[in-house]
Amino acid sequence: MDLAIIQDLLMTGFLRGGLYASMAVGLALVFGVMNICHFAHGEYYVLGAYCAYFAFVTLGLNPILSLLVASVLSFLAGAISEKLLFYPLRKRSKGEWIMNAFLLTAGLSVVLQNLFRVFFGMKYRGITQFWKTTFHVLGMSLPADRIIAFFIAMVAIAALWLFLKKTRIGRAIRAVSQDENGAKLVGINLDRIQTLTFALGSMLAGLGGASMLSLSPAYPYAGNKPLISSWFVVTIVGLGNVPGAIVGGFIVGIFESVSFFFLGSGWQDVASLTLLILLLLFKPTGLFGTQIKSVWE
Amino acid sequence: MQTIISSLNKIGKILQRAIGSLNTIGFSTPFIVFIILIACAPLYIKNQYMLRLLVVSLYYGILAMAFDFTGGFINAVNFGYAGFVGLGSYTSALLVVYTGINPWLGLIIAMGVTASVGFLTGLLTLPLRGIYVSLMSWFVGLTLMALASALVEVTRGARGLVVSPIDESATILTHLYILLTLMMVIYFILRLIINSHIGLAFKAIGQNYDAACASGVNPTKYKLFNFTLSCACAGLLGGYYAHFVGIVTPDVMDTGHTMEVMALSYIGGSGSLLGGVFAAFLLLPIFDSLKQLMEYRLIIYGMLLILVMIFYPVGLNGLYQKFLQFIKRKKETKL
Repeated sequence: MDLAIIQDLLMTGFLRGGLYASMAVGLALVFGVMNICHFAHGEYYVLGAYCAYFAFVTLGLNPILSLLVASVLSFLAGAISEKLLFYPLRKRSKGEWIMNAFLLTAGLSVVLQNLFRVFFGMKYRGITQFWKTTFHVLGMSLPADRIIAFFIAMVAIAALWLFLKKTRIGRAIRAVSQDENGAKLVGINLDRIQTLTFALGSMLAGLGGASMLSLSPAYPYAGNKPLISSWFVVTIVGLGNVPGAIVGGFIVGIFESVSFFFLGSGWQDVASLTLLILLLLFKPTGLFGTQIKSVWE
Repeated sequence: MQTIISSLNKIGKILQRAIGSLNTIGFSTPFIVFIILIACAPLYIKNQYMLRLLVVSLYYGILAMAFDFTGGFINAVNFGYAGFVGLGSYTSALLVVYTGINPWLGLIIAMGVTASVGFLTGLLTLPLRGIYVSLMSWFVGLTLMALASALVEVTRGARGLVVSPIDESATILTHLYILLTLMMVIYFILRLIINSHIGLAFKAIGQNYDAACASGVNPTKYKLFNFTLSCACAGLLGGYYAHFVGIVTPDVMDTGHTMEVMALSYIGGSGSLLGGVFAAFLLLPIFDSLKQLMEYRLIIYGMLLILVMIFYPVGLNGLYQKFLQFIKRKKETKL
């Protein structure tokens, strides 16, 4: 086994893991705070990619600005869809909230996917690169986009962490995730917190899609792969565990690139499924466990 | 004259009693009318294409019914439903193509294989709460789809596996009647289970999990039984569909198909079994007659699902129940 191949595999896995981590953090956050199994997360990824494409190519903005546009727009899209769909559901739902919300996101995912198809067609919209440089890391030359996309994901996660830990609103979000009724008692506006959380989650996905634009072009079904992988991350680390999702993202990224290299597509999915089965057999609370009450009581 | 009237009366009474006894086993009057309408369809529909549409609606209707058996009663959504259907299709198709066994035997084996995969999936996730079973079945479905596309030497991948028909002389009418019989049999069995003490346990688990546990119901056992049965239905129908269409591609396992079945079952009203069948017969012909809608089909399904979930969770079945109540009230005021 060549050392260079191992290095290459680990590197690609690690870089891919960055994206999965940022997507999975969004999923875990939405699940932890709102108890929604967000199934349309991939669609916000695609939305971000489309926004970045049109900002960068059609409007000719510079890369940083286009990423900013993409994240702002996907933040807004998240906020709007929360207000339009989940808010009324929360007010009206009588049955089991988790299941109903899950079905709602599944419906939303199909609607958004096919709306993208109707509006933008089945065309791949990609760019060759945002930044025209290559970096040399450990003797490998990697396009700057990959590295920068990775750093953007890390910075986004760090910013989110700071926001949750240091600001008043961040504390309110954490309070809601711990105890909704208690949060209400101390005067936190639940509706606003939930809208904000959903919008933040969507923004993370949108930013991921935008920064990966040169590696995976925007097209209506582009969100499926990241969605599946980030759900895989969230499931193996334990639903709703935000810090675990970061570590899990890297684990899954490396696991996927290694298993793809040795097994090829098709069997790679079998390997992922086997991992999941083993985990459910021996440690059903997930690698790092979870304290979410509605799932584990 | 007198004798004719009295004998007519007698026949009427016998019919009434027959309908009454059918009602008690779950075949409500509209459903009986519906079955008779479908059974007599060849008399008033001569168009092959329309008949085919009926068969496809019937197929989706039964799938929605079997889906509702899990989704509407134990509140566990099988999000990999299309994967299980596709597993049935591929099992039967591969067996018939490679070993040349009788397609009917292939169907039975397909049912068994799908049921066992469903059983194992359920065994892993049903003791856990809530969403895990949806996630796991989704992953299982995705893996099956990936395998079907990757194992090109066996399944011919996206080019599709050509399958022989169930019977050399089978016409569209044969399929119609076979599926109609299948629907009645599956419905009869599912309804029988729902009406028994097992069904009561299902409803208890679906509505209030803790109360069900507290009253001595072992939720895992019942959930597992339910899930396995629903998967078996999926396998049987998937296998049948492969022989009906004549070609299987990995596309049958796409999550979009799960969405379609799921939307039908929830639009029909969850926990009603028959709602999905009626929803299929209402929506599929509409989509088919408006060809330009085909592209927007999934958007409309998704939107309907969202609207039903938010504003009218009881679905078509709820409308029907309201209608029944309305008639009852009218009758009472007349008296």
